[in-house]
Amino acid sequence: MSTEEKPAAAAPRSLAEALRERDDASLAALLRGRPDLVTPVPTDLTQLATRAGTRASVVRALERLDRFALQTAQALAVAADPASYEELLGLLAGDDGDPAVSAALPHALGALREQALVWGGDDRLRLVRTARELLAPSPQHPSPTGLGPTVREATAGMSPGRIQEIVATAGLPSTHDAVSAVASLTALFNDPERMSALLDEAPSESVEVLERLVWGPPYGQVTADPAPRLRWLLDRGLLLPTAPGTVVLPREVALRLRAGRAHRRTEPLPPPVEAAATHRPQVVDATAAGQAYTASATVEELLKDWHEGGPAVLRSGGLSVRDLKRTAVALDVTEPVAAFWVELAYAAGLLASDGEADERYAATPAYDEWREQPAADRWVRLATAWLAATRTAGLVGGRDAKDHTLSALGPGLDRSAAPEVRHRVLSLLAALPEGAAPSTGSVLARLAWERPPRGGRGGGRGAAEPAGGGDADDPRARLAGWVLSEAEMLGVTGRGALSTHGRALIGVPAPRRAEAEPEGPGDKLPVHHRSAPPPAPLSPAEQATAAAAAARLLAPLLPRPLDHVLLQADLTAVAPGPLERPLAEVLGVLADVESKGGATVYRFTPGSVRRALDAGRTAADLHAFLAAHSRTPVPQPLAYLIDDVARRHGHLRVGAASAYVRCDDEAVLGEILADKRAAGLGLRLLAPTVLAARVDPAGLLEGLRAMGFAPAAESAEGDVLISRADAHRTPPRTPPEPVPDGPPVPDDTLLTAAIRAIRAGDLASTAPREPAADERAGRGGELPRTTAAETLATLQAAVLTGEALWIGYVNAEGAASRRVIAPVRVEGGFVTAYDHTADEVRSYPLHRITGVAEAADEDG
Amino acid sequence: MNGPLIVQSDKTLLLEVDHEQADDCRRVIAPFAELERAPEHIHTYRVTPLGLWNARAAGHDAEQVVDALVQYSRYPVPHALLVDIADTMDRYGRLSLVKHPAHGLVLTSTDRPVLEEVLRSKRIAPLVGARIDPDTVVVHPSERGQIKQTLLKLGWPAEDLAGYVDGEAHPVELVEDGWALRPYQKQAVENFWHGGSGVVVLPCGAGKTLVGAGAMAQAKSTTLILVTNTVSARQWKHELVRRTSLTEDEIGEYSGTRKEIRPVTIATYQVLTTKRKGVYPHLELFDSRDWGLILYDEVHLLPAPVFKFTADLQARRRLGLTATLVREDGRESDVFSLIGPKRFDAPWKEIEAQGYIAPADCVEVRVSLTDAERLAYATAEQDEKYRFCSTTATKQKVTEAIVRRFAGQQILVIGQYIDQLDELGEHLDAPVIKGETSNAQREKLFDAFRQGEISVLVVSKVANFSIDLPEATVAVQVSGTFGSRQEEAQRLGRVLRPKADGHQAHFYSVVARDTIDQDFAAHRQRFLAEQGYAYRIMDADELLAEN
Repeated sequence: MSTEEKPAAAAPRSLAEALRERDDASLAALLRGRPDLVTPVPTDLTQLATRAGTRASVVRALERLDRFALQTAQALAVAADPASYEELLGLLAGDDGDPAVSAALPHALGALREQALVWGGDDRLRLVRTARELLAPSPQHPSPTGLGPTVREATAGMSPGRIQEIVATAGLPSTHDAVSAVASLTALFNDPERMSALLDEAPSESVEVLERLVWGPPYGQVTADPAPRLRWLLDRGLLLPTAPGTVVLPREVALRLRAGRAHRRTEPLPPPVEAAATHRPQVVDATAAGQAYTASATVEELLKDWHEGGPAVLRSGGLSVRDLKRTAVALDVTEPVAAFWVELAYAAGLLASDGEADERYAATPAYDEWREQPAADRWVRLATAWLAATRTAGLVGGRDAKDHTLSALGPGLDRSAAPEVRHRVLSLLAALPEGAAPSTGSVLARLAWERPPRGGRGGGRGAAEPAGGGDADDPRARLAGWVLSEAEMLGVTGRGALSTHGRALIGVPAPRRAEAEPEGPGDKLPVHHRSAPPPAPLSPAEQATAAAAAARLLAPLLPRPLDHVLLQADLTAVAPGPLERPLAEVLGVLADVESKGGATVYRFTPGSVRRALDAGRTAADLHAFLAAHSRTPVPQPLAYLIDDVARRHGHLRVGAASAYVRCDDEAVLGEILADKRAAGLGLRLLAPTVLAARVDPAGLLEGLRAMGFAPAAESAEGDVLISRADAHRTPPRTPPEPVPDGPPVPDDTLLTAAIRAIRAGDLASTAPREPAADERAGRGGELPRTTAAETLATLQAAVLTGEALWIGYVNAEGAASRRVIAPVRVEGGFVTAYDHTADEVRSYPLHRITGVAEAADEDG
Repeated sequence: MNGPLIVQSDKTLLLEVDHEQADDCRRVIAPFAELERAPEHIHTYRVTPLGLWNARAAGHDAEQVVDALVQYSRYPVPHALLVDIADTMDRYGRLSLVKHPAHGLVLTSTDRPVLEEVLRSKRIAPLVGARIDPDTVVVHPSERGQIKQTLLKLGWPAEDLAGYVDGEAHPVELVEDGWALRPYQKQAVENFWHGGSGVVVLPCGAGKTLVGAGAMAQAKSTTLILVTNTVSARQWKHELVRRTSLTEDEIGEYSGTRKEIRPVTIATYQVLTTKRKGVYPHLELFDSRDWGLILYDEVHLLPAPVFKFTADLQARRRLGLTATLVREDGRESDVFSLIGPKRFDAPWKEIEAQGYIAPADCVEVRVSLTDAERLAYATAEQDEKYRFCSTTATKQKVTEAIVRRFAGQQILVIGQYIDQLDELGEHLDAPVIKGETSNAQREKLFDAFRQGEISVLVVSKVANFSIDLPEATVAVQVSGTFGSRQEEAQRLGRVLRPKADGHQAHFYSVVARDTIDQDFAAHRQRFLAEQGYAYRIMDADELLAEN
């Protein structure tokens, strides 16, 4: 270390000072990366630095590091404080060097600096103290490096006599105090040549012991009377006792044995996302479009199924397992898939609880709007809702921390990371050439590299073996797995490859080659121009553009609705594609759906025809309808069926007043009366053509139908009642808000304002400390004084430029204060401004302002 | 993307028949998809595990199937469906039954976990013996059929590669003088012989007997033929003497009346399944000779006990013949595992188009019950209702009208209930053939009908199967066995034999309106409607007025 050679002024003495040296863009990059630092806006850089050093903030920042940056931080945590760049490189690349590590290190270090986790020049790299505490090895929290404490730490409680014995046995000259003895032992362990000479003497069994401990965990158990092979190591300080019965391999020894490497495997480069298969882009787009169509159709089918009042809301919220099962059967999918569709409709604001006393789920008014939209727009609405949703359907059926089953639409499904993971996975797919479908393993491995799972750093795994293909327990890996399957179901991907409209949806215009990120110059300070992976979803405006583009691309790929069906003599109708809505609706009443998919097969049955007649249609209507929509002549059996049902339909009429049956045909009534099955209906012949019944009209209708008649219900006036159910809707509902993790990333305007405020505050707090250095010292503690005209002009100018100003202000009580404000408006004798000192928007009467001064003036 | 095929999410395939690529498409999907319905515009095929395994057995692989779907599909095929198809097909052949030089019949696997899984099944355990090596386990030779049946139920169908015994050789040749096997018959024989064992599906009247004869000529060995009844047995014998080098003396009949065992023996299902004192005394027939080929006529009627015996005959070649694989008892999978996969299938309409079966006009005549009848029908007991409505007196009038209209042509009146038939016979002045009619009398009457000496014959369900009435051109069905689809197909088959003058056949089904007779009729017709036979519906009044 050669700090003395450098001019002292250039070396910052604290994180705050290091921050103070950074330019605005670099600070903005920091605040963008760690948005928690800017809420609320810190008053000055000292406060910013303090906040950046708090445990919660550091933990969050560390979690967002990629694997190599994290490894770099871990290496720094086991290095001396401060450490030089060369020392750090040695720890990461090992004694033999590694070109990939050398190439990637400046970049990683740049990221750490940008995140304010590391500060200081290359000769004095310092890890922020909190980060060091979090990452440094301790018996409670073994480090992923698998390294133990240093010799000095391990010998802290040892008697000086024992230390001298060790020094002597190791073949070193005795020293006069314990401190120098430890220093000379450390020096021995750090010296490769002397160390290898020492180890050459070691008995082979002792070497085996070292090999067992070298990659961690570094702790071992010994008995009160250690075996000779352990004794040899203990005598020379190659193992040091920590507690009774426990020994540890000192960090220096381990590093020597590892040829200087802090990690068994350093991963300087992100694992590539490999294409498992490549399909023609047309095939991918067509498949995805087909699936996109299915997605809209499925959601529509789902809500149609819930048309007349959906399932009840559980008391604890959500959908019961039985209702989910029933829905799955109705949609002909598995339960997890059904849960996905239900959640999707919910996220898109198409269904909600109706909020009545007897709470049920139902479609929202937005659903009716959505249904009228063009197919491509309908899909886009679903897809954008999916992208932004923090609710994750994949969790449905699992159990929460309290061992309660997580139900669809219920609480506990929000996962803050979900939108970010979705976006990232799709971006990775977008980086592949068109039509390439990645292997799931490589996507998961890449994600695990970019954001190593928590278990890999803090927890039980002592060994520094990073998970290769993504950890099953890693929540991000699970999320990513769901993203891949959900994207396929939704038609964002087709055959596993990102489709053109999917690409447009996430705002990636053209196929992009795998990133060749420019290596950040690690030796220069602000490294803000690093092209970070797009962390945040698009802004609302960008999103709208992207969605419109996606809809435009998707529209021509979707099948065009047809206006005809093919009628066949076996009483089926085949719609060889999606049907226009009115046609589909009428046909849905007139016939039963037998098979769904690209086409729809309908079957006409007496029951279905009767349903259509019940819905108020006449036989003539139906004939005309079929003739109009069939490409081929209506088959004779079908025409016969309609006539046959119509002939009998309404033959019997059932009254509502007291439940009666009337029929012009006396024999029919006689027939009914004679039928044993009619006994339960309590029928009585009122007149030759009228029967009265004890049961209510509905029961009577059922009973007569069961006997094979086709009665029609009749109103008090004698008209046929039309039975057609009304749609059930919730009151207006808004879709659930995504629950983001932490505060939102501030936009550039806010960032600029915040930085300006921080700087201004910083100036306010630092300027008075060095009054002698400032020529304009007189102004330091005093109120700025300017003429009224000048004040007005400066304020107006500041409104235009958006600059922050110092003002002197006298309040109603006559107390004077200095404030930093960013004026927004000057009118009517008042200035409205964002007051950085008070952190809110305030209005000040102009006549109370003593004067103004530019806040940026004092930049040296 | 404008193919003729639409792939549905429930794994049905819709084929638009008027599309220019429809024929190509049909050819490539036929091996793995079952034709379910063939009405006029859109044919429906269904992809089932059995169908996919049939295709595997015939040497097709998953890639071909997926390619066929993707190539001809109008809309993108859902990825999940393709994956599912590939997975299902992949299940076939992981296990195979082979002959081991030292241990005899063994079950081997190319996928050890699958073998482990099936061996853990309680149903498999009693069928297997010692484990020879991790991938091979001994199977008791007598359980060859049983294990195939069970494995299929477990979803891991085994490929039977254990081969066949040749059986006792016996010379059989086709004598093609003035006739020849039709191309599709040749194809059927070839497919069967190549596959070893299996089922050939041909419409009634398309010459299934000749496919059997062709198979015998290939096998050139002693043959056991299982048929439904005695009349059918005589029919087979007659046909074999006429079409092959076999003489009367070489063919034996094993039935209730005669018990002959000759190089070619024709036995009835009935005699085989006769049980005395809890045992089947005629089972020894299977072991009485070293049969090289076993023929099953009308496989869809194969009684359950015969399946059991068949399980023990897995080393012999087996050929099933049928007009439809639809079994009312749903045991299609037993046919697959015990007799063999489907080896040949031709849609009825296709053979009709080639002129080998007569075109038919199917009419459903609806008669209304009189008021008195309706009242009686409503009060009838549940189990008497069908009998009541299907034997209504109005049907008699209609039947008479139809017979009058086609006077001079050969007419069959078919029914279920003897009283009804007797009455009809009386009114029409026609002989009645029913269960109590002796075989000699039956053959005499059939002969007279064939010669044209009598033109109207009233028959009960005893005549349902395998009687050959070449010149019947009109059939009138007055009642049937409830909703039996295969019975309807068989009865239509009576009039489908090609006519000398090529004129149209007529099939009338007389149904009582607004009764369960009508519901059953709709069910019975479903199979034929799906085969492309469109029924016209007529009112009885209309028909009576025309006359």
